[in-house]
Amino acid sequence: MSSRLAFFAHTSGGRISRPPLWLALAILVPFGLVLLPIAYVVLRSAEAGPSGIVSDLLRPYTLTLLRNTLEIATFVPILAGSIAIAAAWCTERCDLPYARLWRLAIALPLAMPAYVSSFAWSSLGPAFQEMLGAVLILTFYSVPLMYLPICAALRGLDPSLDDVARSLGKRRLQIFHRVVLPQIRPALAGAALLVSSHMLAEFGALSFLRVETFTTAIFEQYNAQFNNRTAALLSGVLMLLCLPVAFAEARLRRHRVARMGRGNSRTPVLLRLGPWRVPALLSLATLTALSFGVPLATLGFWLHEGSSAGQGIAAIWPALLGSLGYAVPGAVLTTLLAIPLVIATTYHRGKLAMLADRLPYLVHGLPGIVVALAAVWFAIRYAGPIYQTSFLVLLVYAVLTLPVAQSSIRASAELVPREFGDIARSLGHSPFRAFIRATLPNLMPGIGAAGALVALWLMRELTATLLLAPAGTVTLATEFWNLTADRAYGAAAPFAAALVVLSGIPVTIFTMRSLRTDDIKIDIQ
Amino acid sequence: MAILQRRTLLAAGVSAAFASIARHAHAADASLTLYNGQHRKTTEALVAAFTRATGIGVITRNAESPELASQIIEEGARSPADVFFSEQSPPIASLQEKGLLAPIAPATLALIPARFASKDGTWIGTNARTRVITYNKKMVGAADLPKSILDFSTPAFAGKFGYVKQDGFQEQIMAIVHIHGRAEALQWLKGVKQYGRSYNGNRIASTAVENGEIAMALSNNYYWYSMAREKGAANLASAVYSPPGADAGNIVNLSAAGQLKTSRNPEAAQRFLAFMLSRPGQEAMMATTAEYPVIDGLTSPFNLPSMASFTAPVTPADMGSATQAYALEREAGLI
Repeated sequence: MSSRLAFFAHTSGGRISRPPLWLALAILVPFGLVLLPIAYVVLRSAEAGPSGIVSDLLRPYTLTLLRNTLEIATFVPILAGSIAIAAAWCTERCDLPYARLWRLAIALPLAMPAYVSSFAWSSLGPAFQEMLGAVLILTFYSVPLMYLPICAALRGLDPSLDDVARSLGKRRLQIFHRVVLPQIRPALAGAALLVSSHMLAEFGALSFLRVETFTTAIFEQYNAQFNNRTAALLSGVLMLLCLPVAFAEARLRRHRVARMGRGNSRTPVLLRLGPWRVPALLSLATLTALSFGVPLATLGFWLHEGSSAGQGIAAIWPALLGSLGYAVPGAVLTTLLAIPLVIATTYHRGKLAMLADRLPYLVHGLPGIVVALAAVWFAIRYAGPIYQTSFLVLLVYAVLTLPVAQSSIRASAELVPREFGDIARSLGHSPFRAFIRATLPNLMPGIGAAGALVALWLMRELTATLLLAPAGTVTLATEFWNLTADRAYGAAAPFAAALVVLSGIPVTIFTMRSLRTDDIKIDIQ
Repeated sequence: MAILQRRTLLAAGVSAAFASIARHAHAADASLTLYNGQHRKTTEALVAAFTRATGIGVITRNAESPELASQIIEEGARSPADVFFSEQSPPIASLQEKGLLAPIAPATLALIPARFASKDGTWIGTNARTRVITYNKKMVGAADLPKSILDFSTPAFAGKFGYVKQDGFQEQIMAIVHIHGRAEALQWLKGVKQYGRSYNGNRIASTAVENGEIAMALSNNYYWYSMAREKGAANLASAVYSPPGADAGNIVNLSAAGQLKTSRNPEAAQRFLAFMLSRPGQEAMMATTAEYPVIDGLTSPFNLPSMASFTAPVTPADMGSATQAYALEREAGLI
C-alpha cells in the first residue's frame, strides 16, 4: 500500500491536462442551463436603467435586507458548525453509548422541511420569531447538513497522527486544535458554505419567523408589483452575495488530499467520556428534542386537532407518487449533469470548466420563483414544445440544485487520484472509456449521496413545480401549501407527515453511505 | 448479488417514476385552461359544477395570484391560459393595464353591480371579501378598539397590532388615498411601520391574534371564519370587528376573473365567466369559504354580517393594480 502511495505522490505534482472533448461537451449542458437565469436577471435588471437601479437599491430598506441576510447566512453556519463538530466528536471519537443510534438521530432532522419546523416553533410565541429565533431554529435545521460531512471527514483521518501528537505531550484539546481541526477544515468549510447559500435562498421558514431577507423581499416584490424589475434587481444583489460563497468553495479545494485506502486504517482509540458521559447524552438528547421532537410533536397535534383532519386525504397517494415522480428523475438528471462539472475541475484544468463549475453556486442562492420565471420567459420563446412539460420542470430542478450534487460528488472525487484515469489510458482505453472503467466506479459513494440529497431537496420544492409542471400535477409539497393556505392544518398534517417519512428514506441512505468506510476500488483490465 | 438486486430495484424505481410523469404529460387534453390564484377549494367546487353543467373540461394551474400574473406577463402572446381567476383584484388589474384581457360579454357584466367590475369591462368580481380587524377578546375590550384604522398610526396602538403587506393591504392603502388623500396615506403607512408588527400572511397574523401573541391584526374576514369552522366559534379567543362609518377599515375587496385576449377558446372562456356569476356557480363557491356572493338573492352559508355595513366609498375598480400603493409603501420604507 505505501509503495503505491509513493508512486502516486511522485506523479501527482505533474501536468494537469485540459478536459477531453467528451467532457468539454458534457459540461456545456449544465453551463448553458445555469446561464439562462443569470441572463434573465441581468436583462430584467437592465430594463431599470442606471438611474432606476440607483433609486431602487440605494434605500435604507436595502440596507436592512442586507444586514438581515448577512446575519442569517453567517451566524447559522457558525453555530450549526460548532454544534456539529461537538456532536461528531461525541459519536465518532468518544465511547458514547448507542453511537450508531445517535448518528441517525442527529441526522434525522434533515427529513423535516424547514417550513414545518419554523411553523412549529413560531406558533409557540413571539420569543421564537425574528432574528434571534430564526438563527436558532435554522441552526437546528442545519446541524445535520454539517454533521454528516464532518463525521465522514473524522472517520477518514489517520489516527496515528493523534498518537504522534500525544507522544509529543499534547493534551486532548490541543490535539483537537492542532491535529484534527486542520484536517477536517475542508469538509467543515465546504458544508458551511453550502448551508450559507441555503440560507440566502430560504423563504418559507423566514416568512413564518418574520425576518426580512433579500429572498423574502423578492417574493414580496412579486406580490406588490407586476413588472418584476425590482425583484430582478434584488436577485442581482443576491447573486453578488453568492459570489464570495462560490469562490471560497473553490479556494478550499486547492488543498486536496488524494490517497488510496484509508492510510493507516486502524480504528482510533475511543476517548473515555467518564464523568462527561451524562452531560454528553443530555446535550445530544436536547439537540434531538429541539430539532426533531418539537416539530414532530406539532405535526402530531395537527393530526389530532381540528375538524379539517381527514379532508382531502384521498389525494395523499397521488401526491406521494407525484413527489417521487418528480424528485427521483430530478435527482438522477441533476446528478448526471453534475458529474462532468466535478470531473472537469477535479482532474483537469481550464477556465471554462472552472466557470461552469462555479456558476451553479450563484444561482443556488436565488429563490425558486426567479429561476422559474426565467424558465417561463425562455421556454415560451425558444422552446415552446417543452413549456409546461415535466421535462422543463426537471431542467429547472437541476439548475436549482446542481451545487448540492456537486459538493457530494466532489467529496468522493477528491479521494480518487487523477492518475487512475491515466493508468487506464496507458492501457489503451479511450478517455471516455478510461473514465467509465477507472474513475466512475470510485465516485459511486459520492454519486449515491448526491442523488439522495438532491431528491430530499426536490421533494420540498414548491414554486417551480406550481408554475411549470403540467396542470393538475400534485405533490406532497403542493398539497401541503394548498391546505395550509386554507388554514386546514388538520388536513395538511398527513401530507407533511408523509413528506417527513418519505424524506426519511434518502436521509437514512445518505447517513449510512456517508458513514461507511469503503476503500477505493481499482478495477482496470 | 445483493448489490445487483439493489441496482435492479433502483432502476425499476427510476423508470416507474419517469413513466408516471410521462403519463401526466398526456393527461392535459381538455378544452379550457384556467390559471387559478383563488383558494383551491373554492375553485375546485366551481370547476366541478361548471363541468357538470356544460360538459366542458377545465385544466387548472394553481399558484399565488401575483405569481400567476407575473407568469402570464412573461408568457405574453403565447400564454396557454384562457381564463385567469385572481384572489385579489390588483393582479388582474395589472393584466388589464397591459392590455392582455379581452372584453367580457355585456350579458355577463349585467349580472353584477357596476362597482364589482372593471371600468372597461375586462374583468368581473366573482367573490367579495371584507377587510376586518381581528382582535383577541382577552387582550382588548370593545371600548379600546380603534374608531378608524387611521388610529393605528398613533402611539396609543404601539405594539398592539399586526399587519400583512400582501393580500388586501394594498387595497386598504388605496382606499385611504381615495378617502383622505396621498399625504394622509403616507403618514399612516409610516405610523403603521413604526407601531405595528409585520406578519407574512393574513393566516399567520390571524393565528397570532388567536394565540394571544398580538392584540389585533388587519386582515381579511374569511380567515377568522375558517378558524371558527375548524375549532368552533365559541372556542375562539378572537373575534372580528369593523370600524363604523365610511372608514377605509371596512372596505370590500374582490376576487376577480377575466379572459386572456390570446385565449384559443374564447367561447368556452366566456361561458366559464358567465357561469361564475350564475346561481349554481356562486352557490358552489360560497359553500367553501366565508366570502360574499356578488349577485342578488343569495346569502353565504356562513354567519356573515350584511355587506351593506361595509360602507367605505371606494370600489375595487378605483384601486386598479395598486401601483400608487406600491409607491407609497416604498416611500414609507415598508418594501
